[in-house]
Amino acid sequence: MKKLGLNAAATVLALLFVFPLIWMFLTSLKPDGVNVYTLADWVDWSDLNTGNYVKVIRDSQILLWTWNSLVIGVLTTLISILLSSLAAFSFSKLPFRTRGIFYVLIVSGLLIPTEAILIPLYETALHLELIDNIWAIILPGLTNPIGILLLKQFMDGVPKDYIEAAQIDGSRSFRLWWSICLPLTRSAMVSVGIFFFILSWNNFLWPYLAITSEENMILSAGLPTFLSNNNMSLNLIMTASAIAAIPTIVVFILLQRQIVQGVAMSGVKG
Amino acid sequence: MERSLSEKRSAAALRRAEPVHLLTELKAILYLIPFLIPFTVFYLWPVIRGAWMSLHVWGIQGMQKYVALTNYAKILTNSDFYAYLWNSFYFVLLCAPTVIILGLLLALIINQRIWLRTLIRSVFFLPYVLSVSVVSFIWLRLLDAKNGPVNAALHMLGIHADINWLTDHRFVWWAITLATDWWSVGFVMVLFLAGLQEIPTDHYEAAKIDGANAWQRFWSVTLPGLSSVMKIQIFYQIINCLKLFGQVQIMTGGGPGDSTNTMIRYIYVTGFKKDMFGMAAAQSMVFCLIMLLIAVIQFKITDRKDG
Repeated sequence: MKKLGLNAAATVLALLFVFPLIWMFLTSLKPDGVNVYTLADWVDWSDLNTGNYVKVIRDSQILLWTWNSLVIGVLTTLISILLSSLAAFSFSKLPFRTRGIFYVLIVSGLLIPTEAILIPLYETALHLELIDNIWAIILPGLTNPIGILLLKQFMDGVPKDYIEAAQIDGSRSFRLWWSICLPLTRSAMVSVGIFFFILSWNNFLWPYLAITSEENMILSAGLPTFLSNNNMSLNLIMTASAIAAIPTIVVFILLQRQIVQGVAMSGVKG
Repeated sequence: MERSLSEKRSAAALRRAEPVHLLTELKAILYLIPFLIPFTVFYLWPVIRGAWMSLHVWGIQGMQKYVALTNYAKILTNSDFYAYLWNSFYFVLLCAPTVIILGLLLALIINQRIWLRTLIRSVFFLPYVLSVSVVSFIWLRLLDAKNGPVNAALHMLGIHADINWLTDHRFVWWAITLATDWWSVGFVMVLFLAGLQEIPTDHYEAAKIDGANAWQRFWSVTLPGLSSVMKIQIFYQIINCLKLFGQVQIMTGGGPGDSTNTMIRYIYVTGFKKDMFGMAAAQSMVFCLIMLLIAVIQFKITDRKDG
């Protein structure tokens, strides 16, 4: 009986949670001006059509923004992971005297969020002529120290014997990183990478400032332009949201195990 | 941050133990350089530059005049600053506890052997992968006063209030909290789940043998077992709530009036709408100091309990 109550509670909560998404998709499939409001509207599926999707894709740059988000996300993630892994390797496997100083310096990067350095960051990007360029989003995206912290922990788990054996065989440190540490921390890199990708894909404030022309925008920052566009109906706004949401939802369904694991890892230890 | 301290200690030990080999030193640093370059240019430099800018009248065209601490004096004597600072903290008070309690509750439910457990866990987590724009758009529509399903549901429950969620100052913070909780509670849940799985089951059995009921077991075994996750989450959620920008920018534009204008939005408007970079930099510095203070307090509390 208690079990039943728990199950019922969980199911009801889950339905409440998923309702906004279902509602978004349903509204996006209704003709312009028709709102899903009453129960009768919900059940009436006769007028569902994909017309709104055709319209939004035709009349806006949304597919281009999706592409930009994807390119920026992939580049940021790959470069970040590589840089983090190199630094983690140095901290974990190369004993050097100034290690503590560098470590504290880098970890201190967790203290002040990007939101708090917007103005000087903008000024820096302006000077480097990066404003309205996708690199203005990628480069500051590479400064997150979390990857170093996490990958270092995993590299600490790579047995010393492996390293020593390779050193005796005459391997140079670059080879130690490339052919021993990198393969052995692959699963951690995947988790950290997914986490970085989500961060990049959902990054809002900085791209919102740094990109000024429509063709360079990314999804998260481009979407609000629909609101200032007065002739956008509510259904079309929901369609735009749905288009923006579909890639992440698909990726989530495909990779949920790694995503949840990556988030648990980065959150608990970050 | 606990780790950075122990790192410091081990680094100090290393320093004593090893002679300096310049080449080893340089080689190790070489591996840090690819990270250090963007880190210096796009993080360290802006931090220093921001401090410098805050001492000037500065516009998008560049520096105009050195004014020493005038910007700070202006900020601290401006009542807007305190109003927006309060708004930011008000959101912390609303959102941080609700998201943590709800996240814990969901984790406790999912941790039981319920039907479709993985599916239900995914449902709770799913909103977290959406961007703030999508989340804001969805809730903008759900909370619409005239055609929104939230008011429609209230109608069905017999409440015919037609609440103006986003334009009535009595409800607007709850609306933003609701959207934010929905968006991020899955993240908190996942962390608590990971924490729950690390609590040894024999602790529960021992408590059971001692005759502890479910509620007592929760207080004496579960909560202490989750304390490290809890501490990190409290800190993380406070900082996260203080950074509120996207939801208010999209859902309310800071309104009604100025009631949902937060510190970050204040900095954004001062810098980019009013073209007062120096002033905005000074506001950032004050805000950073407040966040650092929270970090230090948190760090002290955590450190004392651990040691």
